[in-house]
Amino acid sequence: MAHIIETDRLTKTYAGGVTAVNGVSFAVEEGEIFGFLGPNGAGKSTTIMMLTTLIRPTSGRASVAGFDVAKEPDRVRLSFGYVSQELAVDDNLTGRDNLFLQAGFYHLPKKEARARCEELLKLVDLYERAGDLVETYSGGMRKRLDIAAGLIHRPKVLFLDEPTLGLDIQTRRQIWQYITHLREEVNMTIFLTTHYMDEADALCDRIAIIDRGVIKVIDTPANLKSRIGGDIVNIRFAEAVQEKIAEAVRAVSGLPVVYSVKPHKGGCIVVVKNVESAIPEIFQVTQPLEVKISSVTVKRPSLDDVYLHFTGRELRNESGSREDAMRSRMMMRRMRAG
Amino acid sequence: MTLLSDIYYVCWRDMKRFLVQKPRILMTVVQPLVWLVLMGNMMSGLTDNPFTARMLGVEKYIDFMTPGIMIMTTLFGGIFGGVSLVWDRRIGFLNKMLSAPICRASIPVGKMAATALQSIFQVSIIALIALALGVRFSTGIPGFLLMIAITTLFSFAMSGISLSIAIFVKTIEGLHPILNFLTMPMMFTSNAIFPEAAMPAWLRTISAWNPLSYAVTPVRTLAIEGWVWEKIIPGLSVTFFFALVMVFIATVQFKRSIA
Ligand SMILES: Nc1ncnc2c1ncn2[C@@H]1O[C@H](COP(=O)(O)OP(=O)(O)OP(=O)(O)O)[C@@H](O)[C@H]1O
Ligand SMILES: [Mg+2]
Repeated sequence: MAHIIETDRLTKTYAGGVTAVNGVSFAVEEGEIFGFLGPNGAGKSTTIMMLTTLIRPTSGRASVAGFDVAKEPDRVRLSFGYVSQELAVDDNLTGRDNLFLQAGFYHLPKKEARARCEELLKLVDLYERAGDLVETYSGGMRKRLDIAAGLIHRPKVLFLDEPTLGLDIQTRRQIWQYITHLREEVNMTIFLTTHYMDEADALCDRIAIIDRGVIKVIDTPANLKSRIGGDIVNIRFAEAVQEKIAEAVRAVSGLPVVYSVKPHKGGCIVVVKNVESAIPEIFQVTQPLEVKISSVTVKRPSLDDVYLHFTGRELRNESGSREDAMRSRMMMRRMRAG
Repeated sequence: MTLLSDIYYVCWRDMKRFLVQKPRILMTVVQPLVWLVLMGNMMSGLTDNPFTARMLGVEKYIDFMTPGIMIMTTLFGGIFGGVSLVWDRRIGFLNKMLSAPICRASIPVGKMAATALQSIFQVSIIALIALALGVRFSTGIPGFLLMIAITTLFSFAMSGISLSIAIFVKTIEGLHPILNFLTMPMMFTSNAIFPEAAMPAWLRTISAWNPLSYAVTPVRTLAIEGWVWEKIIPGLSVTFFFALVMVFIATVQFKRSIA
Protein backbone atom coordinates (compact mmCIF):
# COMPACT_ATOMS: atom_id res chain seq x y z
CA MET A 1 0.00 0.00 0.00
CA ALA A 2 1.68 3.09 -1.22
CA HIS A 3 -0.63 5.86 -0.09
CA ILE A 4 -3.18 5.94 2.69
CA ILE A 5 -5.67 7.85 0.57
CA GLU A 6 -5.66 7.60 -3.20
CA THR A 7 -8.12 8.82 -5.76
CA ASP A 8 -8.11 8.40 -9.48
CA ARG A 9 -10.27 10.66 -11.63
CA LEU A 10 -12.92 10.67 -8.93
CA THR A 11 -16.15 12.24 -10.19
CA LYS A 12 -19.57 12.89 -8.74
CA THR A 13 -22.55 14.11 -10.71
CA TYR A 14 -25.65 14.58 -8.56
CA ALA A 15 -29.07 13.48 -9.70
CA GLY A 16 -29.91 17.10 -10.55
CA GLY A 17 -27.06 17.17 -13.08
CA VAL A 18 -24.56 19.18 -11.04
CA THR A 19 -21.04 17.81 -11.40
CA ALA A 20 -19.75 18.66 -7.94
CA VAL A 21 -16.43 16.84 -8.28
CA ASN A 22 -14.86 16.44 -11.68
CA GLY A 23 -12.02 14.00 -12.26
CA VAL A 24 -10.08 14.58 -9.07
CA SER A 25 -6.85 12.62 -8.57
CA PHE A 26 -4.54 12.90 -5.61
CA ALA A 27 -2.64 10.83 -3.06
CA VAL A 28 -2.12 11.41 0.64
CA GLU A 29 0.87 10.01 2.52
CA GLU A 30 0.53 8.31 5.86
CA GLY A 31 0.91 10.77 8.73
CA GLU A 32 0.29 13.78 6.54
CA ILE A 33 -2.12 16.65 7.17
CA PHE A 34 -3.66 17.20 3.78
CA GLY A 35 -6.01 20.10 3.14
CA PHE A 36 -8.66 20.83 0.57
CA LEU A 37 -8.92 24.57 0.19
CA GLY A 38 -11.79 26.03 -1.75
CA PRO A 39 -14.80 28.33 -1.64
CA ASN A 40 -18.44 27.38 -0.95
CA GLY A 41 -19.71 24.81 -3.40
CA ALA A 42 -16.24 23.84 -4.61
CA GLY A 43 -16.93 20.15 -4.00
CA LYS A 44 -15.05 19.67 -0.74
CA SER A 45 -17.82 17.93 1.18
CA THR A 46 -18.77 15.88 -1.84
CA THR A 47 -15.21 14.55 -2.06
CA ILE A 48 -15.16 13.70 1.65
CA MET A 49 -18.52 11.96 1.37
CA MET A 50 -17.22 9.76 -1.42
CA LEU A 51 -14.12 8.91 0.60
CA THR A 52 -16.24 8.11 3.67
CA THR A 53 -18.53 5.78 1.65
CA LEU A 54 -21.58 8.01 2.17
CA ILE A 55 -22.17 8.61 -1.50
CA ARG A 56 -21.12 6.56 -4.50
CA PRO A 57 -18.72 8.04 -7.01
CA THR A 58 -20.27 8.46 -10.45
CA SER A 59 -16.97 7.40 -11.94
CA GLY A 60 -13.35 7.07 -10.95
CA ARG A 61 -11.83 5.24 -8.05
CA ALA A 62 -10.82 5.97 -4.48
CA SER A 63 -9.18 3.98 -1.74
CA VAL A 64 -8.62 4.62 1.95
CA ALA A 65 -6.10 2.60 3.98
CA GLY A 66 -5.67 0.31 1.00
CA PHE A 67 -9.34 -0.58 0.57
CA ASP A 68 -11.51 0.50 -2.32
CA VAL A 69 -14.39 2.68 -1.10
CA ALA A 70 -16.88 1.09 -3.48
CA LYS A 71 -15.78 -2.53 -3.13
CA GLU A 72 -14.93 -2.88 0.54
CA PRO A 73 -16.89 -0.14 2.28
CA ASP A 74 -16.94 -1.88 5.68
CA ARG A 75 -13.17 -2.20 5.89
CA VAL A 76 -12.83 1.39 4.78
CA ARG A 77 -15.28 2.49 7.48
CA LEU A 78 -13.24 0.83 10.21
CA SER A 79 -10.14 2.72 9.15
CA PHE A 80 -11.36 6.30 9.31
CA GLY A 81 -13.06 8.72 11.65
CA TYR A 82 -15.41 11.30 10.15
CA VAL A 83 -16.34 14.66 11.58
CA SER A 84 -18.91 16.20 9.29
CA GLN A 85 -19.53 19.83 8.49
CA GLU A 86 -22.77 19.67 10.47
CA LEU A 87 -22.61 19.36 14.23
CA ALA A 88 -23.74 15.76 14.28
CA VAL A 89 -24.06 15.27 18.01
CA ASP A 90 -27.23 14.17 19.76
CA ASP A 91 -28.63 17.01 21.86
CA ASN A 92 -30.77 14.72 23.96
CA LEU A 93 -27.88 12.64 25.21
CA THR A 94 -25.08 13.64 27.54
CA GLY A 95 -21.62 14.21 26.15
CA ARG A 96 -20.48 10.93 27.65
CA ASP A 97 -23.42 9.00 26.20
CA ASN A 98 -22.70 10.46 22.75
CA LEU A 99 -19.21 8.99 22.90
CA PHE A 100 -20.38 5.71 24.38
CA LEU A 101 -22.89 5.35 21.56
CA GLN A 102 -20.17 6.01 19.01
CA ALA A 103 -18.03 3.32 20.65
CA GLY A 104 -20.98 0.95 20.30
CA PHE A 105 -21.23 1.70 16.60
CA TYR A 106 -17.57 0.66 16.28
CA HIS A 107 -18.12 -2.51 18.31
CA LEU A 108 -15.69 -1.69 21.09
CA PRO A 109 -16.09 -3.92 24.15
CA LYS A 110 -18.02 -2.05 26.86
CA LYS A 111 -15.15 -1.80 29.32
CA GLU A 112 -12.72 -0.50 26.75
CA ALA A 113 -15.41 1.86 25.45
CA ARG A 114 -15.89 3.42 28.88
CA ALA A 115 -12.17 3.93 29.34
CA ARG A 116 -11.81 5.43 25.87
CA CYS A 117 -14.71 7.83 26.49
CA GLU A 118 -13.10 9.21 29.65
CA GLU A 119 -9.75 9.57 27.93
CA LEU A 120 -11.23 11.48 25.00
CA LEU A 121 -13.41 13.67 27.20
CA LYS A 122 -10.22 14.78 28.93
CA LEU A 123 -8.44 15.32 25.63
CA VAL A 124 -11.09 17.75 24.40
CA ASP A 125 -11.54 19.39 27.82
CA LEU A 126 -15.12 18.27 28.31
CA TYR A 127 -14.54 16.04 31.31
CA GLU A 128 -16.27 18.37 33.77
CA ARG A 129 -19.35 18.72 31.58
CA ALA A 130 -19.50 15.13 30.36
CA GLY A 131 -22.62 14.29 32.35
CA ASP A 132 -24.64 17.24 31.05
CA LEU A 133 -27.01 17.05 28.13
CA VAL A 134 -25.43 18.29 24.91
CA GLU A 135 -28.28 20.77 24.46
CA THR A 136 -26.62 22.82 27.22
CA TYR A 137 -23.27 22.94 25.34
CA SER A 138 -21.90 25.87 23.37
CA GLY A 139 -21.07 25.56 19.68
CA GLY A 140 -17.38 25.09 20.41
CA MET A 141 -18.06 22.37 22.97
CA ARG A 142 -20.27 20.50 20.52
CA LYS A 143 -17.58 20.65 17.88
CA ARG A 144 -15.02 19.32 20.32
CA LEU A 145 -17.35 16.51 21.29
CA ASP A 146 -17.95 15.70 17.64
CA ILE A 147 -14.20 15.51 17.01
CA ALA A 148 -13.77 13.26 20.05
CA ALA A 149 -16.47 10.96 18.63
CA GLY A 150 -14.51 10.72 15.39
CA LEU A 151 -11.49 9.49 17.35
CA ILE A 152 -13.23 6.81 19.41
CA HIS A 153 -11.85 3.82 17.50
CA ARG A 154 -8.37 5.28 17.02
CA PRO A 155 -8.74 5.56 13.26
CA LYS A 156 -5.79 5.63 10.89
CA VAL A 157 -7.30 8.52 8.98
CA LEU A 158 -9.41 11.38 10.28
CA PHE A 159 -11.67 13.32 7.91
CA LEU A 160 -12.52 16.80 9.16
CA ASP A 161 -14.99 18.74 7.03
CA GLU A 162 -14.53 22.42 7.86
CA PRO A 163 -13.58 21.73 11.47
CA THR A 164 -13.55 25.36 12.60
CA LEU A 165 -16.46 26.78 10.64
CA GLY A 166 -17.98 29.70 12.51
CA LEU A 167 -15.98 29.21 15.70
CA ASP A 168 -14.26 32.06 17.54
CA ILE A 169 -10.51 32.59 17.34
CA GLN A 170 -9.68 30.92 20.65
CA THR A 171 -11.70 27.82 19.91
CA ARG A 172 -10.19 27.60 16.43
CA ARG A 173 -6.67 27.71 17.84
CA GLN A 174 -7.62 25.07 20.37
CA ILE A 175 -8.87 22.80 17.61
CA TRP A 176 -5.72 23.44 15.60
CA GLN A 177 -3.79 22.28 18.64
CA TYR A 178 -5.73 19.02 18.86
CA ILE A 179 -5.11 18.44 15.18
CA THR A 180 -1.36 18.94 15.37
CA HIS A 181 -1.28 16.92 18.58
CA LEU A 182 -2.91 13.97 16.80
CA ARG A 183 -0.38 14.07 14.03
CA GLU A 184 2.57 14.35 16.37
CA GLU A 185 1.51 11.91 19.08
CA VAL A 186 -0.19 9.14 17.13
CA ASN A 187 0.93 9.81 13.58
CA MET A 188 -2.66 10.05 12.41
CA THR A 189 -3.31 11.03 8.81
CA ILE A 190 -5.66 13.97 8.65
CA PHE A 191 -7.67 15.07 5.64
CA LEU A 192 -9.35 18.38 6.23
CA THR A 193 -11.27 20.89 4.21
CA THR A 194 -11.38 24.58 4.86
CA HIS A 195 -11.99 27.86 3.19
CA TYR A 196 -9.77 29.71 5.64
CA MET A 197 -6.35 30.59 4.21
CA ASP A 198 -4.70 30.92 7.58
CA GLU A 199 -5.99 27.52 8.65
CA ALA A 200 -4.66 25.77 5.58
CA ASP A 201 -1.37 27.60 5.98
CA ALA A 202 -0.97 26.85 9.67
CA LEU A 203 -1.96 23.18 9.63
CA CYS A 204 -1.42 21.51 6.31
CA ASP A 205 1.65 19.76 5.06
CA ARG A 206 0.16 19.93 1.61
CA ILE A 207 -2.79 21.81 0.17
CA ALA A 208 -4.97 21.06 -2.81
CA ILE A 209 -6.74 24.11 -4.17
CA ILE A 210 -10.12 23.03 -5.47
CA ASP A 211 -12.50 25.20 -7.43
CA ARG A 212 -15.73 24.17 -9.15
CA GLY A 213 -14.96 20.49 -8.68
CA VAL A 214 -11.47 20.61 -10.16
CA ILE A 215 -8.12 20.54 -8.39
CA LYS A 216 -6.08 23.48 -9.64
CA VAL A 217 -2.83 22.68 -7.85
CA ILE A 218 -1.41 20.51 -5.05
CA ASP A 219 1.70 21.49 -3.15
CA THR A 220 3.15 22.52 0.21
CA PRO A 221 2.12 25.99 1.41
CA ALA A 222 5.73 27.20 0.99
CA ASN A 223 6.03 25.86 -2.56
CA LEU A 224 2.65 27.27 -3.50
CA LYS A 225 3.79 30.68 -2.42
CA SER A 226 7.06 30.38 -4.27
CA ARG A 227 5.19 29.35 -7.41
CA ILE A 228 3.88 32.91 -7.53
CA GLY A 229 7.36 33.64 -8.76
CA GLY A 230 9.14 34.76 -5.66
CA ASP A 231 9.16 37.50 -3.06
CA ILE A 232 7.92 40.98 -3.54
CA VAL A 233 10.25 43.94 -2.89
CA ASN A 234 8.89 47.45 -2.79
CA ILE A 235 11.57 50.12 -3.38
CA ARG A 236 11.23 53.86 -2.95
CA PHE A 237 13.71 56.45 -4.14
CA ALA A 238 14.43 59.80 -2.56
CA GLU A 239 13.37 62.87 -4.59
CA ALA A 240 15.34 62.94 -7.87
CA VAL A 241 15.04 63.85 -11.52
CA GLN A 242 12.50 61.71 -13.36
CA GLU A 243 15.03 60.38 -15.88
CA LYS A 244 17.44 59.34 -13.17
CA ILE A 245 14.75 57.27 -11.50
CA ALA A 246 13.78 55.69 -14.80
CA GLU A 247 17.41 54.87 -15.38
CA ALA A 248 17.66 53.20 -11.95
CA VAL A 249 14.52 51.16 -12.59
CA ARG A 250 15.99 50.01 -15.89
CA ALA A 251 19.18 49.00 -14.14
CA VAL A 252 17.25 46.98 -11.54
CA SER A 253 15.20 45.21 -14.16
CA GLY A 254 18.41 44.12 -15.87
CA LEU A 255 19.49 42.05 -12.85
CA PRO A 256 19.32 38.25 -13.29
CA VAL A 257 17.61 37.67 -9.89
CA VAL A 258 14.75 39.94 -10.88
CA TYR A 259 11.63 38.52 -12.54
CA SER A 260 9.64 41.65 -13.12
CA VAL A 261 9.57 45.33 -12.26
CA LYS A 262 6.61 47.64 -12.13
CA PRO A 263 7.03 51.42 -11.50
CA HIS A 264 5.05 52.47 -8.47
CA LYS A 265 4.80 55.87 -6.70
CA GLY A 266 8.31 57.25 -7.17
CA GLY A 267 9.82 53.82 -6.92
CA CYS A 268 9.06 50.33 -8.10
CA ILE A 269 7.66 46.94 -7.12
CA VAL A 270 10.11 44.19 -7.90
CA VAL A 271 9.39 40.45 -7.93
CA VAL A 272 12.62 38.61 -7.19
CA LYS A 273 13.78 35.03 -7.11
CA ASN A 274 15.50 35.33 -3.76
CA VAL A 275 15.31 38.38 -1.47
CA GLU A 276 18.45 37.64 0.51
CA SER A 277 20.73 38.03 -2.48
CA ALA A 278 18.51 40.36 -4.49
CA ILE A 279 18.59 43.29 -2.08
CA PRO A 280 22.37 43.75 -1.98
CA GLU A 281 22.45 43.47 -5.76
CA ILE A 282 19.80 46.13 -6.13
CA PHE A 283 21.81 48.45 -3.88
CA GLN A 284 24.97 47.75 -5.84
CA VAL A 285 23.46 48.44 -9.22
CA THR A 286 21.80 51.72 -8.15
CA GLN A 287 24.79 53.11 -6.21
CA PRO A 288 26.70 54.58 -9.20
CA LEU A 289 23.55 56.32 -10.43
CA GLU A 290 22.43 59.69 -9.10
CA VAL A 291 19.53 58.34 -7.01
CA LYS A 292 19.16 57.35 -3.39
CA ILE A 293 16.97 54.53 -2.11
CA SER A 294 14.87 55.90 0.72
CA SER A 295 13.07 52.70 1.77
CA VAL A 296 12.83 48.98 1.01
CA THR A 297 9.98 46.75 2.14
CA VAL A 298 9.82 43.01 1.55
CA LYS A 299 6.59 41.03 1.39
CA ARG A 300 6.35 37.30 1.02
CA PRO A 301 3.37 36.28 -1.06
CA SER A 302 0.39 35.04 0.98
CA LEU A 303 -1.88 32.16 0.14
CA ASP A 304 -4.37 34.77 -1.03
CA ASP A 305 -2.02 35.72 -3.81
CA VAL A 306 -1.60 32.03 -4.57
CA TYR A 307 -5.32 31.43 -4.62
CA LEU A 308 -5.91 34.40 -6.90
CA HIS A 309 -3.11 33.20 -9.14
CA PHE A 310 -4.54 29.69 -9.59
CA THR A 311 -8.27 30.33 -9.70
CA GLY A 312 -8.39 33.88 -10.97
CA ARG A 313 -10.71 34.64 -8.07
CA GLU A 314 -10.26 36.07 -4.64
CA LEU A 315 -11.14 34.08 -1.56
CA ARG A 316 -12.33 35.80 1.57
CA ASN A 317 -9.51 35.52 3.98
CA GLU A 318 -10.73 36.79 7.27
CA SER A 319 -11.81 34.04 9.55
CA GLY A 320 -15.18 34.18 11.18
CA SER A 321 -16.67 36.42 8.52
CA ARG A 322 -20.27 37.46 8.78
CA GLU A 323 -21.46 34.87 6.31
CA ASP A 324 -19.77 32.09 8.26
CA ALA A 325 -21.22 33.25 11.51
CA MET A 326 -24.63 33.21 9.87
CA ARG A 327 -24.15 29.75 8.43
CA SER A 328 -23.08 28.35 11.75
CA ARG A 329 -25.85 30.10 13.60
CA MET A 330 -28.35 28.54 11.24
CA MET A 331 -26.75 25.20 11.91
CA MET A 332 -27.13 25.68 15.66
CA ARG A 333 -30.72 26.75 15.36
CA ARG A 334 -31.42 23.66 13.33
CA MET A 335 -29.82 21.59 16.05
CA ARG A 336 -31.88 23.19 18.77
CA ALA A 337 -35.23 23.57 17.10
CA GLY A 338 -37.83 20.92 17.75
CA MET B 1 -22.73 -11.03 13.35
CA THR B 2 -22.89 -7.50 14.64
CA LEU B 3 -26.50 -6.95 13.64
CA LEU B 4 -27.93 -7.51 17.13
CA SER B 5 -25.37 -5.29 18.79
CA ASP B 6 -25.98 -2.56 16.22
CA ILE B 7 -29.74 -2.77 16.69
CA TYR B 8 -29.16 -2.59 20.42
CA TYR B 9 -27.19 0.66 20.19
CA VAL B 10 -29.57 2.34 17.73
CA CYS B 11 -32.44 1.38 20.02
CA TRP B 12 -30.51 2.37 23.17
CA ARG B 13 -30.05 5.86 21.77
CA ASP B 14 -33.72 6.31 20.91
CA MET B 15 -34.73 5.05 24.35
CA LYS B 16 -32.32 7.47 26.06
CA ARG B 17 -33.81 10.27 23.97
CA PHE B 18 -37.29 9.16 25.01
CA LEU B 19 -36.46 8.94 28.70
CA VAL B 20 -34.78 12.33 28.83
CA GLN B 21 -37.92 14.06 27.59
CA LYS B 22 -39.86 14.27 30.81
CA PRO B 23 -42.88 16.10 29.33
CA ARG B 24 -43.22 13.42 26.69
CA ILE B 25 -43.29 10.66 29.30
CA LEU B 26 -45.77 12.60 31.39
CA MET B 27 -47.99 12.92 28.32
CA THR B 28 -47.93 9.20 27.75
CA VAL B 29 -49.45 8.84 31.21
CA VAL B 30 -51.81 11.78 31.14
CA GLN B 31 -53.24 11.13 27.70
CA PRO B 32 -54.69 7.65 28.33
CA LEU B 33 -55.85 8.82 31.75
CA VAL B 34 -57.84 11.63 30.18
CA TRP B 35 -59.22 9.37 27.46
CA LEU B 36 -60.29 6.67 29.87
CA VAL B 37 -61.77 8.92 32.54
CA LEU B 38 -63.41 11.38 30.16
CA MET B 39 -64.60 9.06 27.39
CA GLY B 40 -65.41 6.35 29.88
CA ASN B 41 -67.72 8.76 31.72
CA MET B 42 -69.13 10.49 28.68
CA MET B 43 -70.13 7.29 27.03
CA SER B 44 -71.24 5.50 30.18
CA GLY B 45 -74.81 6.38 29.18
CA LEU B 46 -74.47 3.84 26.37
CA THR B 47 -74.20 0.97 28.77
CA ASP B 48 -77.24 2.19 30.80
CA ASN B 49 -79.27 1.44 27.70
CA PRO B 50 -79.70 -2.36 27.39
CA PHE B 51 -79.80 -2.19 23.58
CA THR B 52 -76.47 -0.38 23.15
CA ALA B 53 -74.95 -2.34 25.98
CA ARG B 54 -75.61 -5.48 24.00
CA MET B 55 -73.89 -3.96 20.97
CA LEU B 56 -70.81 -3.19 23.02
CA GLY B 57 -70.96 -6.53 24.72
CA VAL B 58 -69.84 -5.11 28.05
CA GLU B 59 -71.34 -3.80 31.25
CA LYS B 60 -69.25 -0.64 31.32
CA TYR B 61 -68.07 1.36 28.32
CA ILE B 62 -64.61 1.69 29.84
CA ASP B 63 -64.16 -2.09 29.52
CA PHE B 64 -64.83 -1.73 25.81
CA MET B 65 -62.64 1.37 25.51
CA THR B 66 -59.48 0.13 27.20
CA PRO B 67 -58.31 -2.22 24.41
CA GLY B 68 -59.22 0.44 21.83
CA ILE B 69 -57.12 3.04 23.64
CA MET B 70 -54.20 0.63 23.85
CA ILE B 71 -54.17 0.13 20.09
CA MET B 72 -54.78 3.79 19.32
CA THR B 73 -51.88 4.84 21.54
CA THR B 74 -49.71 2.28 19.78
CA LEU B 75 -50.92 3.61 16.44
CA PHE B 76 -49.90 7.18 17.28
CA GLY B 77 -46.54 6.19 18.74
CA GLY B 78 -45.77 3.96 15.78
CA ILE B 79 -46.94 6.14 12.94
CA PHE B 80 -44.71 9.00 14.06
CA GLY B 81 -41.73 6.67 14.46
CA GLY B 82 -40.39 7.79 11.07
CA VAL B 83 -39.98 11.38 12.19
CA SER B 84 -36.76 10.54 14.01
CA LEU B 85 -35.22 9.28 10.77
CA VAL B 86 -35.96 12.57 9.02
CA TRP B 87 -34.55 14.41 12.00
CA ASP B 88 -31.35 12.34 12.00
CA ARG B 89 -30.89 13.03 8.32
CA ARG B 90 -31.31 16.72 8.89
CA ILE B 91 -28.81 17.10 11.73
CA GLY B 92 -26.25 14.90 9.99
CA PHE B 93 -26.54 12.11 12.53
CA LEU B 94 -27.70 9.64 9.92
CA ASN B 95 -24.46 10.17 8.00
CA LYS B 96 -22.54 9.74 11.21
CA MET B 97 -24.16 6.34 11.74
CA LEU B 98 -23.72 5.39 8.09
CA SER B 99 -20.03 6.24 8.13
CA ALA B 100 -19.58 3.74 10.98
CA PRO B 101 -19.26 0.03 10.19
CA ILE B 102 -22.77 -0.84 11.40
CA CYS B 103 -25.21 -3.09 9.57
CA ARG B 104 -27.39 -0.82 7.48
CA ALA B 105 -30.53 -2.71 8.50
CA SER B 106 -29.91 -2.01 12.15
CA ILE B 107 -30.90 1.63 11.71
CA PRO B 108 -34.56 1.08 10.71
CA VAL B 109 -34.90 -2.05 12.84
CA GLY B 110 -33.37 -0.38 15.90
CA LYS B 111 -35.71 2.56 15.52
CA MET B 112 -38.73 0.27 15.19
CA ALA B 113 -37.59 -1.67 18.26
CA ALA B 114 -37.33 1.54 20.27
CA THR B 115 -40.82 2.59 19.17
CA ALA B 116 -42.12 -0.84 20.18
CA LEU B 117 -40.51 -0.62 23.62
CA GLN B 118 -42.13 2.76 24.12
CA SER B 119 -45.49 1.32 23.14
CA ILE B 120 -45.06 -1.53 25.66
CA PHE B 121 -44.40 1.09 28.31
CA GLN B 122 -47.49 3.05 27.29
CA VAL B 123 -49.77 0.03 27.07
CA SER B 124 -48.67 -1.06 30.53
CA ILE B 125 -49.47 2.38 31.90
CA ILE B 126 -52.90 2.22 30.28
CA ALA B 127 -53.49 -1.18 31.85
CA LEU B 128 -52.53 0.13 35.29
CA ILE B 129 -54.82 3.14 34.94
CA ALA B 130 -57.66 0.94 33.75
CA LEU B 131 -57.05 -1.40 36.65
CA ALA B 132 -57.30 1.53 39.05
CA LEU B 133 -60.58 2.51 37.40
CA GLY B 134 -62.01 -0.92 38.06
CA VAL B 135 -61.38 -2.65 34.74
CA ARG B 136 -60.54 -6.36 35.05
CA PHE B 137 -59.10 -8.39 32.16
CA SER B 138 -60.89 -11.71 31.91
CA THR B 139 -57.72 -13.61 30.94
CA GLY B 140 -55.57 -12.19 33.72
CA ILE B 141 -51.81 -11.80 33.48
CA PRO B 142 -51.23 -14.41 30.72
CA GLY B 143 -53.88 -12.72 28.63
CA PHE B 144 -52.31 -9.36 29.27
CA LEU B 145 -48.95 -10.65 28.06
CA LEU B 146 -50.55 -11.79 24.80
CA MET B 147 -52.19 -8.37 24.52
CA ILE B 148 -48.73 -6.79 24.86
CA ALA B 149 -47.41 -9.11 22.16
CA ILE B 150 -50.17 -8.03 19.77
CA THR B 151 -49.71 -4.31 20.42
CA THR B 152 -45.96 -4.75 19.95
CA LEU B 153 -46.49 -6.40 16.56
CA PHE B 154 -48.88 -3.64 15.64
CA SER B 155 -46.30 -1.05 16.67
CA PHE B 156 -43.72 -2.62 14.33
CA ALA B 157 -46.23 -2.52 11.49
CA MET B 158 -47.06 1.14 12.07
CA SER B 159 -43.48 2.34 12.49
CA GLY B 160 -42.61 0.30 9.41
CA ILE B 161 -45.15 2.28 7.39
CA SER B 162 -43.89 5.50 8.89
CA LEU B 163 -40.23 4.77 8.13
CA SER B 164 -41.03 3.66 4.59
CA ILE B 165 -42.63 7.04 3.98
CA ALA B 166 -39.90 8.96 5.83
CA ILE B 167 -37.29 7.45 3.51
CA PHE B 168 -38.83 9.33 0.59
CA VAL B 169 -40.29 12.40 2.25
CA LYS B 170 -37.13 13.98 3.55
CA THR B 171 -38.57 16.92 5.46
CA ILE B 172 -40.56 16.97 8.67
CA GLU B 173 -42.87 19.59 7.19
CA GLY B 174 -43.73 17.18 4.41
CA LEU B 175 -43.99 14.11 6.57
CA HIS B 176 -46.35 15.33 9.29
CA PRO B 177 -49.40 16.00 7.12
CA ILE B 178 -49.05 12.63 5.41
CA LEU B 179 -48.90 10.79 8.71
CA ASN B 180 -51.82 12.77 10.11
CA PHE B 181 -53.79 12.02 6.99
CA LEU B 182 -53.18 8.31 7.54
CA THR B 183 -54.04 8.14 11.24
CA MET B 184 -57.38 9.89 11.44
CA PRO B 185 -59.34 7.88 8.86
CA MET B 186 -57.71 4.69 10.09
CA MET B 187 -58.89 5.40 13.61
CA PHE B 188 -62.47 6.34 12.77
CA THR B 189 -63.06 3.50 10.36
CA SER B 190 -62.02 0.91 12.91
CA ASN B 191 -63.73 -0.75 15.84
CA ALA B 192 -61.37 0.95 18.32
CA ILE B 193 -64.00 3.35 19.66
CA PHE B 194 -67.32 2.18 18.16
CA PRO B 195 -68.59 -1.37 18.12
CA GLU B 196 -68.98 -2.88 14.66
CA ALA B 197 -72.55 -3.78 15.55
CA ALA B 198 -73.41 -0.07 15.68
CA MET B 199 -71.92 0.75 12.29
CA PRO B 200 -73.76 1.17 8.99
CA ALA B 201 -73.00 -1.65 6.57
CA TRP B 202 -70.49 0.27 4.42
CA LEU B 203 -68.46 1.31 7.44
CA ARG B 204 -68.56 -2.22 8.77
CA THR B 205 -66.98 -3.40 5.52
CA ILE B 206 -64.17 -0.87 5.77
CA SER B 207 -63.67 -1.69 9.41
CA ALA B 208 -63.44 -5.37 8.61
CA TRP B 209 -60.49 -4.64 6.31
CA ASN B 210 -58.88 -2.05 8.58
CA PRO B 211 -55.58 -3.30 10.04
CA LEU B 212 -56.43 -1.40 13.20
CA SER B 213 -59.52 -3.56 13.73
CA TYR B 214 -57.44 -6.69 13.22
CA ALA B 215 -55.30 -5.61 16.15
CA VAL B 216 -58.19 -4.40 18.30
CA THR B 217 -60.37 -7.51 18.03
CA PRO B 218 -57.99 -10.07 19.61
CA VAL B 219 -56.95 -7.62 22.32
CA ARG B 220 -60.55 -6.84 23.13
CA THR B 221 -61.46 -10.51 23.12
CA LEU B 222 -58.70 -11.23 25.60
CA ALA B 223 -59.78 -8.33 27.79
CA ILE B 224 -63.51 -9.01 27.82
CA GLU B 225 -64.50 -12.45 26.64
CA GLY B 226 -61.56 -14.65 27.55
CA TRP B 227 -59.59 -17.24 25.57
CA VAL B 228 -61.92 -17.35 22.58
CA TRP B 229 -59.31 -18.57 20.12
CA GLU B 230 -61.46 -18.36 17.00
CA LYS B 231 -61.68 -14.60 17.60
CA ILE B 232 -58.04 -14.22 18.59
CA ILE B 233 -56.19 -16.22 15.92
CA PRO B 234 -57.31 -14.31 12.78
CA GLY B 235 -56.39 -10.88 14.17
CA LEU B 236 -53.19 -12.16 15.70
CA SER B 237 -51.97 -13.78 12.49
CA VAL B 238 -52.94 -10.85 10.27
CA THR B 239 -51.16 -8.43 12.61
CA PHE B 240 -48.14 -10.72 12.72
CA PHE B 241 -47.83 -10.90 8.92
CA PHE B 242 -48.56 -7.20 8.57
CA ALA B 243 -45.69 -6.46 10.95
CA LEU B 244 -43.37 -8.85 9.15
CA VAL B 245 -44.11 -7.34 5.76
CA MET B 246 -43.73 -3.75 6.96
CA VAL B 247 -40.42 -4.43 8.74
CA PHE B 248 -39.18 -6.06 5.55
CA ILE B 249 -40.33 -3.23 3.28
CA ALA B 250 -38.93 -0.52 5.57
CA THR B 251 -35.57 -2.27 5.79
CA VAL B 252 -35.27 -2.92 2.07
CA GLN B 253 -36.34 0.61 1.17
CA PHE B 254 -33.90 2.05 3.65
CA LYS B 255 -31.00 0.01 2.27
CA ARG B 256 -31.91 1.08 -1.23
CA SER B 257 -32.08 4.75 -0.34
CA ILE B 258 -28.47 4.91 0.82
CA ALA B 259 -25.24 4.51 -1.12
N1 LIG C 1 -27.34 16.22 -2.54
C1 LIG C 1 -27.05 17.09 -3.53
N2 LIG C 1 -27.81 17.12 -4.64
C2 LIG C 1 -27.51 17.96 -5.65
N3 LIG C 1 -26.49 18.83 -5.63
C3 LIG C 1 -25.69 18.85 -4.56
C4 LIG C 1 -25.92 17.97 -3.44
N4 LIG C 1 -24.98 18.22 -2.52
C5 LIG C 1 -24.19 19.19 -3.02
N5 LIG C 1 -24.59 19.58 -4.25
C6 LIG C 1 -23.95 20.58 -5.11
O1 LIG C 1 -22.63 20.19 -5.37
C7 LIG C 1 -21.75 21.29 -5.33
C8 LIG C 1 -20.63 21.03 -4.34
O2 LIG C 1 -21.15 20.96 -3.05
P1 LIG C 1 -20.26 20.62 -1.78
O3 LIG C 1 -21.17 20.53 -0.62
O4 LIG C 1 -19.41 19.45 -2.07
O5 LIG C 1 -19.35 21.91 -1.66
P2 LIG C 1 -18.36 22.37 -0.51
O6 LIG C 1 -17.07 22.64 -1.15
O7 LIG C 1 -18.39 21.42 0.61
O8 LIG C 1 -18.99 23.75 -0.07
P3 LIG C 1 -19.21 24.41 1.38
O9 LIG C 1 -17.98 25.18 1.66
O10 LIG C 1 -20.38 25.29 1.17
O11 LIG C 1 -19.47 23.32 2.35
C9 LIG C 1 -22.60 22.50 -5.00
O12 LIG C 1 -22.88 23.17 -6.20
C10 LIG C 1 -23.86 21.92 -4.42
O13 LIG C 1 -24.96 22.73 -4.73
MG1 LIG D 1 -18.93 21.48 2.55
